[in-house]
Amino acid sequence: MQTLTKRAIAGTLLSTTFLVTGLSSALIAQEATMVLPAREVGAPSYDPIRGTKLNVATTLIYDRMVLQDADQSYHGQLATAWETSEDGMTWTFTLRPDVTFHDGEPFNAETIAWWVPQFEGTENAFMTEAIESVEIVDDLTVRFIMKNPDPNLLSNMASSFMGVPSPKAYEELGDQYGVTGAIGTGPFILESYTVGQDTVLVRNEAYSAASALSVNQGPPHLARLTFREIGDDSTAFLEMRTGGVDMLLSVPADFRSMLDNESDVTMVTLPGRELFYMPINTTVAPFDDIRVREATALAVNQAEIVDNLYGGLGAAADTFLNDSLLESNVDDALRISYNPERAQALLDEAGWVVGTNGVRAKDGQALNVKLWTQNGTEFRRITEVIQAQLIAVGINADITVLDPSSINAEYRKGTEHQLAVRSYSWENADILDWFFSSDRIGYPNVSMWDDEPAEEMRILAMTGSRTWDERVANFTAYHEYVLTQFVFAPIYQPVQSFAYSSTTLSVPEQIRSTRVQSQTFLDIDVK
Amino acid sequence: MALRFLWGVVHTPRGGASAFVLMLVIACALFAPLIAPYGYALQNLPGSNTSPNALHWLGTDEFGRDLLSRIIHGARTSLTVAVTAISISVVVGMTFGAIAGYFGGMFDRVVTAVVDLTWSFPEILIALILIAIIGTGTESIIIAISIAYLAQFTRLTRAQVMALRQETYIEATVNLGAGHFHVIFRHLLPNAITPVIVAGMLAIGDAIILEATLGFFGLGAQPPIPSWGAMMSSGTAQIFIAPWIILFPGAAIALTVISINLFGDALIDALNIRSRLRDV
Repeated sequence: MQTLTKRAIAGTLLSTTFLVTGLSSALIAQEATMVLPAREVGAPSYDPIRGTKLNVATTLIYDRMVLQDADQSYHGQLATAWETSEDGMTWTFTLRPDVTFHDGEPFNAETIAWWVPQFEGTENAFMTEAIESVEIVDDLTVRFIMKNPDPNLLSNMASSFMGVPSPKAYEELGDQYGVTGAIGTGPFILESYTVGQDTVLVRNEAYSAASALSVNQGPPHLARLTFREIGDDSTAFLEMRTGGVDMLLSVPADFRSMLDNESDVTMVTLPGRELFYMPINTTVAPFDDIRVREATALAVNQAEIVDNLYGGLGAAADTFLNDSLLESNVDDALRISYNPERAQALLDEAGWVVGTNGVRAKDGQALNVKLWTQNGTEFRRITEVIQAQLIAVGINADITVLDPSSINAEYRKGTEHQLAVRSYSWENADILDWFFSSDRIGYPNVSMWDDEPAEEMRILAMTGSRTWDERVANFTAYHEYVLTQFVFAPIYQPVQSFAYSSTTLSVPEQIRSTRVQSQTFLDIDVK
Repeated sequence: MALRFLWGVVHTPRGGASAFVLMLVIACALFAPLIAPYGYALQNLPGSNTSPNALHWLGTDEFGRDLLSRIIHGARTSLTVAVTAISISVVVGMTFGAIAGYFGGMFDRVVTAVVDLTWSFPEILIALILIAIIGTGTESIIIAISIAYLAQFTRLTRAQVMALRQETYIEATVNLGAGHFHVIFRHLLPNAITPVIVAGMLAIGDAIILEATLGFFGLGAQPPIPSWGAMMSSGTAQIFIAPWIILFPGAAIALTVISINLFGDALIDALNIRSRLRDV
């Protein structure tokens, strides 16, 4: 009897152990931890309407009207169909039925009619600027009445900034929306969020708004997803190598070859969408002289940076736009490429004479300039190389390292900045409007560029294009003009690399977006 | 007399070895442009992350810059910052401490309260707060470090002066009609200075570490000026590719600070002032 009882207890304990172990491993197996790209570290909120810096988790909390494939074609998400009138003055969208927000509120035509006007007065107003009004045709159909034709409307609708938030939550939380709460219709629900540290998302069990770009049409396979913000490249690499994280959404250049050699890590390289550049403040001396601006831009040896800092991966940037955009196809004579002889000649012509210490001077004033950069290995490296390249033509640049938000705060304060090494990631030529519009002088128009012909060309490109081809032509002309003014020095276009643990995760072979976003996350599974 | 005393300290095994290393570091700091085989800012990108070899004894960094040259120039940054900051601390701290200890009263209470308050925070925290206010750069960290260590010297001097003030020869000087200035600067401070100077020397070691820590966070000397802390910081990103970038500046910091501490210890023993320092 005693033996039987002992056996029974032992059996119960054993089966309980197996059950608990099995359950917990099943739960653990549905979790994944990922590291955000360094460029996305420090996003201060998940408010897609008012935010100017968002990270990839935004695309998982919110759905968008349409999504863009890697080939730049558009596919419906919250919109299932759309059409535009021949004159481009109306757009009609059919909305997906039976979609609800994470707070249980319904998504319908009224949501869109509320959502579009919210952009007015925000930094992102340009996204919906061309829309005059939104008409509700029926519960699941809306019509945009346009102020002017906008061939770029679908591209805007596919942007992370066009995630649709719950009107109820947005109104209730006010200025705190995106900070204390973020409610969308997306495949994941925001559980917790600490700026600069991590974001934890949990599966939206009711999710059914997957686009055709995902194989999985139901809720995500992953039950819990943690995005960690790690600014230091070597720490991120170590975390990946020691199994602390399952995926690096961006692999630092230094560690590509080392991760490539890891048998349990798979690395994927995609065409780059980012561009490193050096904005030049055109309103302060010596950069109010176009010859000094041109000399500065021509002193940057882009090929040296690509070859030596990135081992030849990526490409030299010689325009202000990514090579993948049609508007980057400018006249070759306007491309900004390394030309130290011309840089020296321009500085001579501008009256800056080389001194005994190699630094140029004019009227007893040395050519000392301020060069800002943000903390992080990649930025620091590029900046130090550019500092050496500038001194080679007689420009002495004093580096100041700031964190990214401090740089933007300094721009907004109107500090007399001069040069900075920065990067942007954007897949549309309207980034030129963002950077050079006279309405945005200070930030993001950090070049403080205010020029009448440029404004006319910008407005024509933004609002005067009826077709996509016309828009490309107008933006190309605008791009060519700003290139001649040397408001930026283009530097480098990196490739995108991400790495994941092939023992814990299965990731679709084909990435159906221009970067890893919600459509891919829906298909990511655990092994 | 002083030279004979120093000669005695240097002739102890501990004092001799540490003095040798310190002389080497000081020589590097003073004659860096003459000693360093390459310019500290001279980049050679194709030769980046080269391991130690005949051309570059300590290898090169991520920009192909000679590590030995940068460490030699880095000695200049570290010692300049540490010695200047601690000198300011010693001079200002002694002045405040002497006046507070001699006169007592309200001034003494205020100084003691401020010193006690400052004393309750670690130096790194005080330095970080100050740098957040005044900004980054070499001058800023000199100011930050000097303020961070001010309490130590004020407290030490005050205690020495308060003890010395009771001495008969001070009473006699006062009774003979000497003024306060004369008593403080001719009689009290010269007799209180020895433990302060030794404490100052030991603090230089701490200040080198503090400077390296601030440099590691990118708050000190800005690129391309080398600082041992900033060199270690850039080495962290390369630790798996080029470990020498972090190892050699780290070794330079360790060796210098250990030498300062050993030399300070030898001095304390030779001067027999350990109890006076411990009392504070």
